[in-house]
Amino acid sequence: MRELLVVLNTRAQSFLKHAFEFRWQSLVQNLSSLLIFGGFTIAVFFISRSVTDYAMSQAHIGLFLFHRFLSMLLYVFFVTVNVGNMIVSFGTLYRSQEVGFLMSLPISHAKIFLIKFVDNFFYSSSTLTLIGLAVLLGYGSYFDMPWYFYFVVIFLVMLPFMLISGILAVTALMLLIRIGARIGFRLLLMLLVGAYGASVYAYFRITNPMALVEDVMKLWPNVNDYLGYLDPQFVKFLPNHWVAEFLYWSINGDPARAVPYLALLVLTMLGLIAVAGLMARKFYYESWLAVSNLQAAKNNSASKPPGLFRLDGKNLFSPKLDALMRRDFWLFFREPSQWLHLVLMFVLLLMFVVSVATMNIRFDSPGMETNAFLIVFLFNGFLVASICLRFIFPLVSLEGDAFWVIRSAPIVMNRLYWYKVLGSMGVVLALAETLTISSVFLFSQSVYLTTIAAIMMFFVVLTLVGTNVAAGGYFAVFKEKNPMRIASSQGASLTFLGSMVYLTFVSTLLVIPFNRYFQQSEFAGMATPHWMHWSFILIGLISMAIFFLSSFIGVKALRRSG
Amino acid sequence: MAMIEIQHITKKFGSFTAVNNLSLSIESGQLFGFLGPNGAGKTTTIKMLTGLYEPTSGHCFINGHDVHWTPLEAKRSFGYVPDQPFLYDKLSGREFLHFVGGLFGMPYESVKAKVDEVKDYFEIGSFMDKRAEEYSQGMKQRIVLSAALMHNPPVLIIDEPIVGLDPRSARLVKDVLKQKTKEGLTVFMSTHLLEVVEELCDRIAIIKNGRIIYEDVPAQRNGDLEEMFLELTK
Repeated sequence: MRELLVVLNTRAQSFLKHAFEFRWQSLVQNLSSLLIFGGFTIAVFFISRSVTDYAMSQAHIGLFLFHRFLSMLLYVFFVTVNVGNMIVSFGTLYRSQEVGFLMSLPISHAKIFLIKFVDNFFYSSSTLTLIGLAVLLGYGSYFDMPWYFYFVVIFLVMLPFMLISGILAVTALMLLIRIGARIGFRLLLMLLVGAYGASVYAYFRITNPMALVEDVMKLWPNVNDYLGYLDPQFVKFLPNHWVAEFLYWSINGDPARAVPYLALLVLTMLGLIAVAGLMARKFYYESWLAVSNLQAAKNNSASKPPGLFRLDGKNLFSPKLDALMRRDFWLFFREPSQWLHLVLMFVLLLMFVVSVATMNIRFDSPGMETNAFLIVFLFNGFLVASICLRFIFPLVSLEGDAFWVIRSAPIVMNRLYWYKVLGSMGVVLALAETLTISSVFLFSQSVYLTTIAAIMMFFVVLTLVGTNVAAGGYFAVFKEKNPMRIASSQGASLTFLGSMVYLTFVSTLLVIPFNRYFQQSEFAGMATPHWMHWSFILIGLISMAIFFLSSFIGVKALRRSG
Repeated sequence: MAMIEIQHITKKFGSFTAVNNLSLSIESGQLFGFLGPNGAGKTTTIKMLTGLYEPTSGHCFINGHDVHWTPLEAKRSFGYVPDQPFLYDKLSGREFLHFVGGLFGMPYESVKAKVDEVKDYFEIGSFMDKRAEEYSQGMKQRIVLSAALMHNPPVLIIDEPIVGLDPRSARLVKDVLKQKTKEGLTVFMSTHLLEVVEELCDRIAIIKNGRIIYEDVPAQRNGDLEEMFLELTK
């Protein structure tokens, strides 16, 4: 226990020293992050409150259905925390140099596992926690819940809920690495991606939200009654259901029926921690060795990579451009945490497009049509923002300790910056436009809307790529080698929140023109939406202004860094 | 003609002056040893010389090009070996050499020929196709030295070249430096190892608290360098 406390104490001291170190730059960064985080939290709080208000007071969906939707959202949240923890934990528990150092000390493997798990959990879940808490506050305030409700929900419901997800992820990873050492990591990865996809699909297939809405609405006006018999049996074993049930009974003022769910969550969390500790004692070192051996075998193999992009292959472009492109290509595809995450993101994108394509929803009003269209567009924007955060933001930081090579070579920093911006923009734009065109067209069947969405997406990509490269340079962390940790740093969270503010702004500008477009389509035959273009021009102008301003900051940051 | 010309450079970090009004001139083909205790300002001087730091005041010229006003021309004229030879972990030594060749705008055929040449020179053939993650300090040092000479620069700036090398690698590096200097390469070398200085350098300077406190030609000097260094830097 003593060594565990020593390690945790050292980490806490290091964190506090870093947090309270006075520098003007860090003061400005902290203040601006406080402002943006604060603003974002307040915005999420009000959105959560308004959505609850809308569902309960205007749509009258009833408490039962509302909490079943909440349960579904919590399931997505659970899977997101789980995936995040699994990906980040591969870096923190198996690849970090600190683990190698700790392994050389007389500390038990289970304790190293625990230390790194805590590290991993806070790194990969902090932004999600913030969003979760803001949603909870908005929800609670609508129902006028007392102060201790929030305390109980935060520490005894949400924390155990997220920890269950996190522990399951790292424990599963420990076992998967052992299996991967036998069956091969590529096959394992495919199985894992398939398993995540299948679990999300199966969950929504079995819970069947559409059928649930119809079943509940048949019982109108008794929609506030507890209709637990409508729940499929299997959901009763899921932690998201326990959280939803706890909230439902708390809102109904029935603690006797709420507390068992709280107990279930806490006991499951404690049980899983104990199981994870026991398994770590037996398997963590073994799995760590398996990863180290695999890495060493890979590094010691003197085979040359095949293909066009070989660094020692003939030039396709100018030598400088060629060298940079090929280096980036290989650094990306030789880092499992990079391509692994990319594959997962592709699967998510595919699932989204397929879901949109197979949706069969009838809209009763132009307002609903506008909301649905904006949600699809916004979700596309959100995916692009996530891709930018995860892959574009770390670009400058990933120059790392070896940045001296470029800085001492005859390379103009402006050109290096534009290479990063334009190179990433090409890739993200292709992806974003494919996503937008396929999802919007499949959803709306309108060539006009698809064209507009594609043009708007161009500006979204321009802004998000520009700001992410620039902010990545401004908040560069050259010492950090793990791209996921760079993408979850304070600067990255700040950039992501900025992206969300921008997307909200774009959507707000699109609400009125699209609402009028749908109204005209509905009531006056074909629309003639020439007046809509002013909103689009405004979005374009503001996006370009943000892009050029961020480029100016980014170039300056790149020149002074390294 | 002076290949390296440092004119009154000063570097301040806040209120701390790391390098204070330092001037030097190094002729073509000289092997110049830059000595000093830890924290004396050697690496800061080298970083200003290579364009990695901007001087608070003063100018550095390499091959007649101002490092800060015409950085590209200046950078084409030197090869640089830092004290910490960080490489890209995921690239092999060969790939790194091709990458550096590309950064200097060398055409593919020249890079390939040069890689074959430095491979023999620094005996890196046995490990150059493995990833740098697995390299020892000495292996990295030899790869970085090879990279620095890829584009045939007239100047080599080298920070602690022998530290971390095994005796055979150290001998190899010293021989290469001697040979290249004979061929006309100008070398600016910072080091702690006095026996290396005595063996290799045509000229030395000792820096302390950011100022040059001694300049000499080892071959003409009488007495023990170590004793004198300790006396001057105490």
